[in-house]
Amino acid sequence: MELLLKGGVLHDPAAGWNGPAEILIKQGKVEAVSTSLESIEAPVLDLTGKVILPGPIDMHVHLREPGGEGKETIATGAAAAVAGGFTAVACMPNTFPAVDSREIVSYVRKRAAETALAHVYPIGALTRGLKGREISLMWELAQEGVKGFSNDGIPLMDSGVMLRAMQYALLLDMPVISHAEDSCLSAGGVVHAGEHGYRLGLPTIPSSSEAVMVARDLLLQEEVGGKLHLAHLSCRQSVELVKWALEREIVLTAEVTPHHLFLTEQALEGFNTSAKVNPPLRSAADREALVKALGDGVIQVVATDHAPHMRLEKEEGLMDAPFGAVGLETALPLLWTLLVDKGLLTPLQLVEAISSFPARILNVPGGTLQKGSPADLVVIDPYREHTVEPREFYSKGKNTPFGGWTLKGLPVITMVGGDIKMWKGMVKGFSDEFPREEKTFFLEGIS
Amino acid sequence: MLPKDLLSLEDLHKEDMEEILARARFFKEREGKGDHSSLKGKNIVISFWEPSTRTRVSFELAARKLGARVIDYVPDAGSEAKDESIEDTIKTLTALGADALVFRYKLPGLLGKISTRVEMPLISGGEGCYQHPTQALLDLFTLQEERLSLRGLKVVMVGDILHSRVARSHFYALPAFGAELILVAPPVLLPLELVPPGAEYTFNLETALSRGDVIYLLRVQQERQGKGLLPSLSEYASLFGLNEKRLSLLKKEAVIMHPGPVNQGIEVSPGAISYLEAYQPDKLLLQKQVQNGVYIRMAVLDLLLGGRG
Repeated sequence: MELLLKGGVLHDPAAGWNGPAEILIKQGKVEAVSTSLESIEAPVLDLTGKVILPGPIDMHVHLREPGGEGKETIATGAAAAVAGGFTAVACMPNTFPAVDSREIVSYVRKRAAETALAHVYPIGALTRGLKGREISLMWELAQEGVKGFSNDGIPLMDSGVMLRAMQYALLLDMPVISHAEDSCLSAGGVVHAGEHGYRLGLPTIPSSSEAVMVARDLLLQEEVGGKLHLAHLSCRQSVELVKWALEREIVLTAEVTPHHLFLTEQALEGFNTSAKVNPPLRSAADREALVKALGDGVIQVVATDHAPHMRLEKEEGLMDAPFGAVGLETALPLLWTLLVDKGLLTPLQLVEAISSFPARILNVPGGTLQKGSPADLVVIDPYREHTVEPREFYSKGKNTPFGGWTLKGLPVITMVGGDIKMWKGMVKGFSDEFPREEKTFFLEGIS
Repeated sequence: MLPKDLLSLEDLHKEDMEEILARARFFKEREGKGDHSSLKGKNIVISFWEPSTRTRVSFELAARKLGARVIDYVPDAGSEAKDESIEDTIKTLTALGADALVFRYKLPGLLGKISTRVEMPLISGGEGCYQHPTQALLDLFTLQEERLSLRGLKVVMVGDILHSRVARSHFYALPAFGAELILVAPPVLLPLELVPPGAEYTFNLETALSRGDVIYLLRVQQERQGKGLLPSLSEYASLFGLNEKRLSLLKKEAVIMHPGPVNQGIEVSPGAISYLEAYQPDKLLLQKQVQNGVYIRMAVLDLLLGGRG
């Protein structure tokens, strides 16, 4: 499909673009970007009043396949991604079996190729079976196509294993994505060790359970070098440690989730299991420190840690319900409404956090819409308000703490490789109302 | 107007608590002067999923004194039911015509969830480490009998604050009536985030004892030792137990309370108990607490069910 996007405002920090743009797309790639492409003959999509961002890459999701298809599949997770404006996701290896062998990597990639509307980049298990005792066959997994390694979801307590894994990753020039948690400090806990958790009489997870492991990983990184990425930071102590490391010129990147940016432990009131996440939602001071760190560039990436669960599992009560919240279908509107619209983050900074940095860290195409780049992009409506309605999610998981929130910045078009996968909330192959013919896009228009 | 359920004292205003206390006083004054059968024909289900004698029996007596029928629903021993099946059970009980449910459960949160789904009043008989509202109410009642006003009363609460639902209920009860809390526990059982605004805390029992008008001893669960929270119970007793020597620190008018059952030799030494029983029996309010519990529970049942036809 060839088409010309007109009237929209493009924010593309990698290209140094920050204003009105016309974008010509040809054979799945960006053919030209200019303030005016008058002489071009191509079907035109009028995006007046809309914002175009280089395709967001959510570098931290759980797609549950194989082994957890009741919670999510690669197909439904990718549908949720494009519904939420993401053109790519990196999926964590804590599936059943774990992504720790060539066979499982190849299975995930095959399922992605067959069923996914977004790019799906598997992350390989950092240790065999995610058991934390010996490093996985990292080179083999890299050969098969993983884009990084992680023990996400299962704390890696053995610092010797962590050191060797980081050393081995050097050989492959791939990121090690650290889920920083000292399981001796977090053991049995379900909520932050703060006012609300204690008041509700729930076992707690102190900030130190994260921060001591962040400190460990930073010290190892200083010795080893390579690419360290700290997943889902949740507390101000971690932010301070990352600042310290950056001042020492330790190479690293760090990530924060929308729920840690926009919620505190208060969300647990009423024993609300949709706010039970790991690491837990922490205090207002922690939340403020995370927002500031993102603005200051101490934290570079926003990723959702999209963690779908079945309704019945989340109804088990706070003690027994599994950790995790879905995030793919709320992240962009949340970030737009609560950071960009409030002037806490510029649109360019937002794109850095959700597109450019993830692409660079994972070393995958995209993150920009310069000539020759894949035509992966999202168009959002920066003005119109909508209410988050979990029942309408394409994800199988409806477990969001943001149900009922009124937000702007709703994605209205998600394009992957030049192909429109989501059109005004309708997802190709998943929604009966999705236009059957391309010409409908141009006839109908977006406004 | 009282809320539909009694799950947490946080949900009650001071006036609500006063209403319950006044009703309990009414029942206590009428004791032995004929029946008060305001709940005649009502079915009250008592379902305790955690071991309990006094609270369960206290509720049962309260319900019977008001003329209600009591259905004691005890789940199969050792059954590890999931929340979902408990919810089903409760729906079944509703369908069978239960008019109220008194419930005790080891984990917090389930009652609040159920309360939105059934119309009958739910009354907590103790919920995890979260709340034990009737205990705090009966303590208020007992203290009001002893003292005319609770304003300015210093209550030294000693023990496993971290795991205590009684303490958590008192955080909303005592301060509402003007009493001041001084919390005493080893640091591992007293996270500072838990200390309510306006309360004091200390790790030194002896300095606190000399200031207390009320010494409220909390039960220390034996199993805390196994979890490595306390090196040994005897060390706890040495540092935080009330013993004969420490009795001399108490104010002359100070009284001693405990939600029961007492672990003799841990919270309080057998010697201290014998001494108090022999020489200062008025200091010990434990029996009064137990007796008053029945009137408080009558008041709660009467007010929550009575107003609803």
